[in-house]
Amino acid sequence: MAKTNEPPTRVVAGQKTLLARTMHDIRYDEVNDEFLVTNQFGQALLTFRGDADGEAQPIRVINGPKTQLQRPDRLDVDNVHNEIFVPDIDRILVYPRTGNGDVAPIRMIHGPDTGLDTATLAVDPINNVIVSSVGKQLLIFNRTDEGNVKPRAIIGGPKTEITRINQIHMYPPKGLIIAAQPGGAGIEPKAPVFIGIWRIHDKGDVAPRWKLGGPKSGLKKPRGVALNPKHKELIVADMRLNTVLTFYFPEIF
Amino acid sequence: MRNPMRSQITSPRTRVSQVLRKPSFAGLALMLAAGSLLLTGRVTERDLGAASGTALLRPTGAPQLISQSPLPTMDGQICEWMPASASTTLAASLWQEPAASRSAADAVQRVNADREPIRSINDTYPTYSAIAVDTTNNEVYLQDENLFGLKVFNRLDNTPATAAFTEPKRSIGGIQTKLEFNCGLYVDQKTGDVYSVNNDTVDTMVIFSRNAEGNVPPMRELSTPHGTFGIAVDEVNQELFLTVEHDNAVVVYRKMAQGEETPLRLLQGDQTQLADPHGIVVDTRNGLMFVANHGSTHLVRGEHEKPNWPLDRDRMVRGSGKLLPPSITVYPIKAQGDIAPVRVIQGPLTQLNWPSNMAIDEERGEIYVANDPDHSVLVFKTTDQGNAAPTRVIKGPKTGIKNPTGVFVDLKNNELWVSNMGNHSATVFPRTANGDVAPLRTIRSAPLGKQALMIGNPGAIDYDSKRDEILVPN
Repeated sequence: MAKTNEPPTRVVAGQKTLLARTMHDIRYDEVNDEFLVTNQFGQALLTFRGDADGEAQPIRVINGPKTQLQRPDRLDVDNVHNEIFVPDIDRILVYPRTGNGDVAPIRMIHGPDTGLDTATLAVDPINNVIVSSVGKQLLIFNRTDEGNVKPRAIIGGPKTEITRINQIHMYPPKGLIIAAQPGGAGIEPKAPVFIGIWRIHDKGDVAPRWKLGGPKSGLKKPRGVALNPKHKELIVADMRLNTVLTFYFPEIF
Repeated sequence: MRNPMRSQITSPRTRVSQVLRKPSFAGLALMLAAGSLLLTGRVTERDLGAASGTALLRPTGAPQLISQSPLPTMDGQICEWMPASASTTLAASLWQEPAASRSAADAVQRVNADREPIRSINDTYPTYSAIAVDTTNNEVYLQDENLFGLKVFNRLDNTPATAAFTEPKRSIGGIQTKLEFNCGLYVDQKTGDVYSVNNDTVDTMVIFSRNAEGNVPPMRELSTPHGTFGIAVDEVNQELFLTVEHDNAVVVYRKMAQGEETPLRLLQGDQTQLADPHGIVVDTRNGLMFVANHGSTHLVRGEHEKPNWPLDRDRMVRGSGKLLPPSITVYPIKAQGDIAPVRVIQGPLTQLNWPSNMAIDEERGEIYVANDPDHSVLVFKTTDQGNAAPTRVIKGPKTGIKNPTGVFVDLKNNELWVSNMGNHSATVFPRTANGDVAPLRTIRSAPLGKQALMIGNPGAIDYDSKRDEILVPN
């Protein structure tokens, strides 16, 4: 229940963490009480204990030539099947969750039919889908897809209002895709700015089922989104505001 | 705080208030059965409704509906019936609720939900990433990376302990200024021009005249590679140096470059040992360039988009990433291409820890390093190499230094300035300060002891359900 001007309860920072000072994703694994962060500059996936604090060292590091990591900007963790998913430009790489060191991917979605050119994704381990984003579209793959496969569905078109998507979160109990759209690049984005919520069975040119945005929301450039099912809240990280905003959103839970 | 054990479900027709009891051990079996239904995918909402109704009659131990009452209709919200046994955590709900089906839920209407946040977590005070002093006009410039602006103070300002903050004598900030995640700062001592480097989100360096104030456009702009951080200027040769964090590179421009002008030189490549470079200083007396590196690095291959433009993230070599110790790498000031440093300061004795912006005293041959998470400023000789211990370390509770990312050496007044991202302040010390010493003066922009939140460019977020905490990468 942190609020304005209340300092963080913990700060994980410093050389031993192996973090870069520029990070673009974090995922909490509540089954294993761990959180995962990418280090895009060092091409590494870092896993920390859930209670990590200060200059804590990661408990596992996936890094090295076998990983094939190029630009690991974001990631997601599947704690049901114990896998880590990484969107990496023209492919999606899958690693064992407990992988440590120079680990090769156990699966890869890659090839011209995939349509991938991505830096974001999320995985739904219950409904067995991966949702990624390319340009103005959301691409939906089967969780176990491998090789040069077409997406099983694409959500895109003017009604979707998608121009570019940053962080994606899934809500498996309702089959929801929750995506943060920060608008265009630059200080003052021209494109629509919102959190869009679709269902995993949506396809084509469909408007989001719920769209959070507008003057009351105060959103300027939302880049991150997460869910707090306990309190039925939607949590948004807004880059332009340097602010974390919490919205009561019971209807999606 | 809302009671987590009390939930409300809304529909266009009714709202039902549920009071839930804590689960007991006996509830586990029912939860697992519901989980198997979930995994087979043959469950319908009607089935779950019936199952839940049955559950009410037994001491399941799971949260149970014990009362309900109709509430007034609420507009704009969607009905999604939930079983009374629904858990309040995501992991538990995976076992208890049906996998998403294509049923009636797919036919729901689309809703534009513009609503106010119930909470905001942000820092309303400036946090200072970089610092520079105009010794001609006795003014201090502080780079505010939290609210995106520049604050200008009198050099001799000193915030009393009883004061909430010191008012700046002028500020620059707003959309027109193009300041965003502004992290590098240089002030021309002759003209008073102010150079501000933006990191990560705006690929533009902006230059303001000394008297700029408010939401004003810069007098000059320069398109830069993505992810610039540190700035240094060689006034002798009228050249401007920028580190490029994302590409492990240094680009060198004409000092007066603007618009789409390309760099004069590029330093990038396997031999350079540049690794997430941040601060940079040049030693014009000895013809050297010093770069502070955090340590993350990778190889790049490919064709340059334009002359002396770094190979960017799309040209990273797969699997080439390394997580190296921090360092200060030293090059000839005219270094270009893929050349090795002439010296490297690196190792445990250095105490380097995410070394950020740097300053140089050419006269005495000293480099000052803002050593961010170590809450210290390190001083090295410009001739140091290898695993060299700093000659001085300013650190400790008396210093007021917290998460320093900017330093400036005022040779005219023989002072060392530090910008502290961690506590909304700038502290000034005698140039030769060493150890746990109190600052001569402090410019504070928040009440004494107010710790900065240091939320910076939050590109993602997650919720730690175990600790009821929000995780924010910056």
